[in-house]
Amino acid sequence: MSPRSKPELAHDHLEAARDDLDGERTGDAINALFYAGEAAVVALAETYGIDTKKSHVLKATAASQLHQKGVLEHDLGPLLRDLNQARKDYWYEGEDPEVDLETAYEEIEWLVGKVTEGGD
Amino acid sequence: MAVVHDISPGDGWSLRLDWHDESVWRQRLQRDREVAIRNQSAEQRAITETLVSRVREGGASAFALTGSTARAQRTAISDLDYHVIGERPLHSDFPDDVDIYATDLPGFWRKLNQGDDFVQWTLRYGCVLFDAGAFHQGMQHLASEDLWPSPALKFARLAEHVRLARRLISMGDRDAAQDQVRATLTSVSRGLLLSARVFPLARAELPQQLTAAGFPDLGQALHQSIGSELTLDQLSHTLDLVDGSTPVEALAS
Repeated sequence: MSPRSKPELAHDHLEAARDDLDGERTGDAINALFYAGEAAVVALAETYGIDTKKSHVLKATAASQLHQKGVLEHDLGPLLRDLNQARKDYWYEGEDPEVDLETAYEEIEWLVGKVTEGGD
Repeated sequence: MAVVHDISPGDGWSLRLDWHDESVWRQRLQRDREVAIRNQSAEQRAITETLVSRVREGGASAFALTGSTARAQRTAISDLDYHVIGERPLHSDFPDDVDIYATDLPGFWRKLNQGDDFVQWTLRYGCVLFDAGAFHQGMQHLASEDLWPSPALKFARLAEHVRLARRLISMGDRDAAQDQVRATLTSVSRGLLLSARVFPLARAELPQQLTAAGFPDLGQALHQSIGSELTLDQLSHTLDLVDGSTPVEALAS
């Protein structure tokens, strides 16, 4: 087993998220969306010299910084924070997510597209 | 009047104290504030003070600093952990990883009586920074009923956590896999210690507790998952260890 690049991981997590949403596997979908978003942000952050230090909050902050720098048209920092909270609530408290997962999917899909294809 | 200031918070707050004695509770609050100040950096103290203000303004019933900071056991990957009874306050504007465990008042009592270990952790080891009565009454109830957390709750989703970790390993996402493996190890470690009637402390203290309780391999694995960057193969082998560690009696309970 070998570690893979962040753009590849972002793409694969996003595909898994789609399968999980279609299969109504809520918890898996939350995790997959979160990891897809984080992998995409880390890939972009490395390109623009923003250190994320493997910290979830710094990755979310990096997403906001990428928006402030004009790299991303939308600020996805709040969504990453919400997904991080949602996975803790779901897996450890058994609570349904407050995040609309289909809307989150669209936003993360857009973000991953920026990394894997450079498109909108 | 009972005097509690000589009791080391490192041992946790004793259930043998008379928690109906108002002076005992006041002394605890004083001691908890002192410990919280001592254990935090200036930046962390500023975050905590801001959160205390926000939860008060938000009408919360109680608020405590918990986890590794309350125990002076922070590691490079530690969050700043809190427990609020009430609405989770805004915390997205802080530079540190802030994790706020939030319950409403009925949820707090339900979790306490159902054997949730985190609620008991707050009462036994947390630094209570604001309390309108819920933590005090919870401590009285904990002591009078001599409650012990349910190990079974820690194992209830173990198979799911292992599956999630294996999925991340198979995808080749080392960073995410190590996060998930560490969380899985932490959960199973807490369950095993509770089964052995050892109250699990902060995560960095668990390896030593596990070794003393007869689970040295798991203790070593957890220690490595906290302080080292493990390969995907190492993470997979670590999960093999978890797969065989759930005691039948804990699952049965």
